[in-house]
Amino acid sequence: MENITKKVREEIGRGWIGPDLGCPYHPCHFIGQDCTFCFCPFYPCNDADLGDNITGRGGNKIWQCTYCLLIHRPEVGKYVMSEIERLGIQDPKDPRMRCIFDDVKERFHRNGRALMVLGATSDAGKSVTVAAICRILHNKGYLVAPFKSQNMSLNSKVTPIGSEIAMIQTIQASAAGLKNPDHHMNPILLKPKGDTRSQVMVEGEPFGDYDVSEYYDEFVPGPGTEAVKRNIEFLKQRYDFVVMEGAGSPAEINIYDRDIANMGAAVIADADCILVVNVKWGGSFAYAVGTVKLIPEKDRERIKGIVLNNVLGNPSNLKPGAEELEKILGIPVIGIIPHADVVLPSEDSEAFRGISSRGNGGVRISVIKIPRIANFTDLDPLYMEDTTVKFVTRPEELEGSDAIIIPGTKNTIDDLLWMRGNGLDKAICSFRGTIPILGICGGYQMMGRSLKDPHGIEGKIPQTVEGLGLFDMSTEWDEYRKKVIRDQGILLETGEPVTGYEIHMGLSEVNEAPLFRIDRFRESENEGAFRKDDMLFGTYLHGVFDKPAFRRFFLSFVKKGGEPLKMAESGDYDDLIEENIKKLAAVFEEGLDIDMLMSIAEGRS
Amino acid sequence: MNVLFVGTASGAGKTTVSAMYCRYLYRNGVSVAPYKAVNLSLNSYVTREGKEIGIGQAFQAWASGLEPSGDMNPVLLKPSGNGKIQTVLCGAPAGDVTEKKNMDVAAVSAAAYEAYDRLNSKYGTVVCEGSGSPVELNLMDRDIANTGLMRSRSVPTVLVGDIERGGAFAALYGTWLLMPKDIRPLVKGFLINRFRGDASLLDSGIRIIEDLTGMRYLGTIPYMCLKFPEEDSLSDSEGYLSGDNVKEAFMSNTDALLDAALGAGVDFQAIERLS
Repeated sequence: MENITKKVREEIGRGWIGPDLGCPYHPCHFIGQDCTFCFCPFYPCNDADLGDNITGRGGNKIWQCTYCLLIHRPEVGKYVMSEIERLGIQDPKDPRMRCIFDDVKERFHRNGRALMVLGATSDAGKSVTVAAICRILHNKGYLVAPFKSQNMSLNSKVTPIGSEIAMIQTIQASAAGLKNPDHHMNPILLKPKGDTRSQVMVEGEPFGDYDVSEYYDEFVPGPGTEAVKRNIEFLKQRYDFVVMEGAGSPAEINIYDRDIANMGAAVIADADCILVVNVKWGGSFAYAVGTVKLIPEKDRERIKGIVLNNVLGNPSNLKPGAEELEKILGIPVIGIIPHADVVLPSEDSEAFRGISSRGNGGVRISVIKIPRIANFTDLDPLYMEDTTVKFVTRPEELEGSDAIIIPGTKNTIDDLLWMRGNGLDKAICSFRGTIPILGICGGYQMMGRSLKDPHGIEGKIPQTVEGLGLFDMSTEWDEYRKKVIRDQGILLETGEPVTGYEIHMGLSEVNEAPLFRIDRFRESENEGAFRKDDMLFGTYLHGVFDKPAFRRFFLSFVKKGGEPLKMAESGDYDDLIEENIKKLAAVFEEGLDIDMLMSIAEGRS
Repeated sequence: MNVLFVGTASGAGKTTVSAMYCRYLYRNGVSVAPYKAVNLSLNSYVTREGKEIGIGQAFQAWASGLEPSGDMNPVLLKPSGNGKIQTVLCGAPAGDVTEKKNMDVAAVSAAAYEAYDRLNSKYGTVVCEGSGSPVELNLMDRDIANTGLMRSRSVPTVLVGDIERGGAFAALYGTWLLMPKDIRPLVKGFLINRFRGDASLLDSGIRIIEDLTGMRYLGTIPYMCLKFPEEDSLSDSEGYLSGDNVKEAFMSNTDALLDAALGAGVDFQAIERLS
């Protein structure tokens, strides 16, 4: 505490500085933040709207305000410093600081509004619409958070505090200019374990396994609804706008009263809604009319605008139809959005809709499409290079591969047994030493000698299974514990930086040369396995291709007709995503009636 | 009785459902022929008489135990890029349609419906397939394959909704609502396609749609991971069929899907009795 007081005294002495662009951590909260008070001069404010008490390691109470952004709002930093100077305050313990705090809270702190983006179907373009609106509002200087109450996705990412949320919400958070996506933005994450059963994560932590009817009968009315309420409120207290994303269609009348992902959440958040319809498949007018008309009247009134999305061809051809639609529904069409040619991380549906390859580069990377494939967004940065990623489910499809990747899985043992059943295990091993082979997370675990699951934690029954034997390594699921952590470190061979995140159960004992050095808070540790002569690579790191270092290193082992692969000067995947968010926002800004959007967002419509 | 299957969107599964129903009738000894007034597709098939038709109708013909013929798809539109569309009328090239030069809808539909009449007089049942969504507000006045056919030949109609993407109830209800009132009574029933999981979860929603529209629920077709030939670029099916055994592979897929649909209680007998 004394330390903080000392820092604040220094800050007061320095005066207003605005954003500190020279700081290596800038921006640590959001783009455009004020850095005058890196340490809050009101700490601990003990105001329950802004933070809460947690128990420290020694049992002591600690005031936690990690998610409070108030002091970093540009207008707040400036105002606080001007008041401090006006009153001639030098000591942070000056009792008049409390008066400034009360004044600031009165002036600047108010609950934000929520806006909800509904889709007439899955893949209507909700996610990109939310991302675009987040960026449009961010560009107008608002503090914006994305939100999706319930997401069913196998592509998750780890937040700075080690909780797990859907990948797409982290992208939307970037679109909103936020640096620290957190679990409030996706409080319920469903990870499918089969056709009907899912692992339910609440606020980034495993909560339990449910089948469809248990989920709707038990989880939704109780803990599910509570989680949605808690987290929407939390975000509304801290942001000007919460841009919410629905899930699937809001007009699934068989589960309407138990749907907390769409109108249920809109009601909780008191949000007005925009309905997005994908025009590409046809029938969009029918989808729009049917969706609106099937929603009960009391909730229907929340739908204030319709967006016709993904229009191929001339958008003006749709105008007469759009006008007719407005007449039928009495709801304005606030945008006709052309198809946007943007690259954003893969949607889950691609994995399920049987897309068999992506990219059209000269090098063929075969990815084993194991039945429970997870975190396949790991592969997306490969499309920045001269590669074609081909998803493979049969041994003969491996022929002609220039590299093989075994991706992550929701269940290592079951997927390994699946490969054993169809001969993919032997087929992969037959390529040893001729082309590079990489295993990520579950795929890495499979590359070891043995997988021990004495309590049936990973598989359904206690068992020990022989691995591919490519690495001298064994993995054991000794207790139900999940490792969820963000990593950064270096690629040992070159010393260049890598980043990633781990989400796995089971721990591995590895007797191989490591691939990476991971720098933790106080120490560093080795990670992964690497056999240079055999071109074998293994790592727990998801997102390992995001930085160019490992991507280039791995691809440098690919020899196409004896020649090394020519690589473009491609950079960070994050930069590519940012470029695409900009492109996307521009397309929406062009196609959307922004005045109407703002009046809906502000609740004036 | 003839029937027209219309989809709530492209790729809703009209082609497959029509093929399945052709197969069902063929298995039961009914004389049946497929028909699709207008097909927008680059994948065509040339019949023995040298007529060019959409590939979907060729497969449906085989499912019906017939050789494909030109009447089964009298209008084939082949996009040739730059907004130009090549028109194939009754199996023979009939000029281009461009943004400036529209199709002569009256003449084309007259020719298309004459082909329907020829099939109708020759076969016991004509199984018709619609094209795209029947209720595109900006195109409805020029429709040939859906509302046009319904209006001119009074064909009883079944809606096919795809539930895989969600929003199937909305799509069915919205399509019904937007149907012009004069032909709405022809829309007799609906099917739900590509369902995975426990179908009893849908019951309450199905009842609501029946009550709201008076359409009859005819069944839910389970999702099956089968390869079918791509009719056009918008289809999301699992991939292409290729090689010499395309026809055989298609037939065995159709048989498998029909068996699965029968197992799931799809009421084909009710479709036979629609009127």
